Amino acid sequence: MRVPSAGVRRPNDRTSAATPSCHSDGSAPAAAPGSPVVALVGPPNSGKSTLFNAVTGGRRTVGNWPGTTVETGRAAWQLPDREVELLDLPGAYSLDAHSPDEQLTRDLLIDGPVVERPAVVVVVVDAAHLSRSLYLVAQLREVGQRLVVALTMGDVAEGRGIGVDSAVLAGQLGVPVVPLDPRRREGGRRLAATVSQALAGPARGPRAVGERDASDELAVADERFAWVEAAVGAATSSPAEPPTTFSDRLDRWLTARFVGPVAFLAVMWAVFEMTTAVAVPVQDLVGNFFAGPVTAAVETAFAGVGLGDSWVQMFVVDGLVAGVGMLLTFVPLMVIMFALLALLEDSGYLARAAVVTDRLMRAVGLPGKAFLPLVVGFGCNVPAISATRILPSARHRVMTALLVPFTSCSARLTVYVMVAATFFPRHAGTVVFGMYLLSIALIVVVGLGLRRTLWRAVGEEPLVLDLPPYQRPTLRLTASVTWLRVRGFLRTAGGIIVATVTVVWLLQAVPAQGGAAFGHVPPDDSLFAALARLVAPVFAPLGFGDWHTCSALVVGFVAKEAVITSWAQTYAAADPTAGQSPVELQGHLHAAFAASAGGATVAAVFAFLVFLLAYTPCVATVATQLREIGARWTAFGIALQVSLAWALGLAVFQVGRLLG
Amino acid sequence: MSSSPLRDVLAAFDAGARSRTEIGELTGLGRDSVDAAIGHLVRMGRLEARELSTGCPGGGCGSCASGVDGAPGCGASAPGPRRSGPVLVQLTVRR
Repeated sequence: MRVPSAGVRRPNDRTSAATPSCHSDGSAPAAAPGSPVVALVGPPNSGKSTLFNAVTGGRRTVGNWPGTTVETGRAAWQLPDREVELLDLPGAYSLDAHSPDEQLTRDLLIDGPVVERPAVVVVVVDAAHLSRSLYLVAQLREVGQRLVVALTMGDVAEGRGIGVDSAVLAGQLGVPVVPLDPRRREGGRRLAATVSQALAGPARGPRAVGERDASDELAVADERFAWVEAAVGAATSSPAEPPTTFSDRLDRWLTARFVGPVAFLAVMWAVFEMTTAVAVPVQDLVGNFFAGPVTAAVETAFAGVGLGDSWVQMFVVDGLVAGVGMLLTFVPLMVIMFALLALLEDSGYLARAAVVTDRLMRAVGLPGKAFLPLVVGFGCNVPAISATRILPSARHRVMTALLVPFTSCSARLTVYVMVAATFFPRHAGTVVFGMYLLSIALIVVVGLGLRRTLWRAVGEEPLVLDLPPYQRPTLRLTASVTWLRVRGFLRTAGGIIVATVTVVWLLQAVPAQGGAAFGHVPPDDSLFAALARLVAPVFAPLGFGDWHTCSALVVGFVAKEAVITSWAQTYAAADPTAGQSPVELQGHLHAAFAASAGGATVAAVFAFLVFLLAYTPCVATVATQLREIGARWTAFGIALQVSLAWALGLAVFQVGRLLG
Repeated sequence: MSSSPLRDVLAAFDAGARSRTEIGELTGLGRDSVDAAIGHLVRMGRLEARELSTGCPGGGCGSCASGVDGAPGCGASAPGPRRSGPVLVQLTVRR
């Protein structure tokens, strides 16, 4: 047994201490020495502390139980015929000792010697959650103990259409049941009288326990739950149809097998439409800001220090301002999209979207849990691959990590929006939405392919999604989540993209052949263009064999945002206005795709978008794959992504050209 | 009246129930009983409950701001320390 600390006597000698605890708030004396101890127990949020305060007048002594960090309260309680010490034990669902609180309650009530147990135990039972609350009663009824049930939350139960017959419940449980409402200070006297009667009478014998294997924890718990269910079934009346909540009514549609996916697609289409419709005009304004005041200020500053027209100025203006500045024009787009997604998440809708997605994954035979990292992948592939750790089997982890790169991350969104706004200005949102649909289709098809070839034995495991109720989104939370995500975008722009821009600029500044000075090379004669032309023939059958486009895709291997900065840089070197204004850059893209596609521009643009979606997302994703699934599977994944991207791009362009 | 409510709930998981409502339909248990049984199975370690966020709570790698103070904030560990509001709770059978 634990040894009580000085000044605190344990109450489990059935009589109370006269000395106040060192933790005492000093507002109340404990009960008189020799008073019986009554313990108050119950699950969290059952109204136990409210009842304690109501019957004792709120005067309590608070302190940690000796030898533990578990806080208990005690106070004198005046019954009709005597004073007792009421001990407020921590909230506990059971006596199974899953937590220190439950361990202490168990020690005091059933593990300690009978003579040291409280004289009476009052179990606070929530009438609105009877099944949850009565498990404790089932356990306490297995030992010889004086018990009284205090039935709280009757008004809440009534509001839900649940009627509780306390007399029947008392008969079923074999203990007195006192309905009361401690918040209104109703029923306290009845409880005091009932406890007084219990103290005067003998302890009731243990309940008859059904046949069960005492060593089988589940069987023991099941017998108790069955006993509880029998009591609840006999003592309660519920409406034939439980009252449906607002969330229930919405979920009936939003998670339905057919309507759910349609609603999900409609919501996501609306998100992309709103994003592009609002953001693209703002994007032009931001672009003009970089093209005008920012560029002018930088040029003036360099001229002021005698470095006008130097390679340093070119690096800053054609490299950093053009490349990073162009990427920053996407900040409004990211703000709007992240804010809309945060609103959906905060409202509780995205949880329903996860249910719909989960069903789709299962329908095509993918492991149920795998949809979670895949959903995360639509934000960023890197944490999504890390999230595969939640999958219990190595096969599941590898398979899902191979599928994640096909989820269309937000970095790819910037390129979709730029290309869609350039070539399909009136339908940009729909084109972007289509890319996300294609992403889902790719996951499904590649997943099925992998299952039918590499992982025929991958099985499903049970999974239940417990949905939160819908709620009104809060401005503070939406703004906070939006900022955190935009900050990540800005970090990328300020880190890896600046490094990429620098490397691209250096390659552009170096002449492929002699005859030009460093930093004064015509773009077509630069080392960058020469290297890009080496890979251009690979993309010629796909309709985008122009070296600017090919080099952007190669640079995009570092990070997808770099596709835009690369375009801005390579065109800015030849035409300074192109890198500093989205409108000017769009003109160059039109010309490049028209030339490389032999007139089949639309087919080439779609082939480019499909290739962009399917090929390796970024070096960070590759590094994470290496860490999570090893070099062999990472290499397999890259080969799969690049070859699939190329084949799909080829098919789209060739078929599009024939149709167009 | 079920004589083994907890085993019935576990069987409902195995039968493919996807929500508490479906568990209630398969077992014949009321909503409160299903909640109580799931809560108890989670405390027993027979079920695993994991809170999930479809997004990333903040800071960190790439353009999705996934980490918080250097710790990954992906769906596996969400909601992060700064997250509040509704989250998706996933329950799985622990084998």
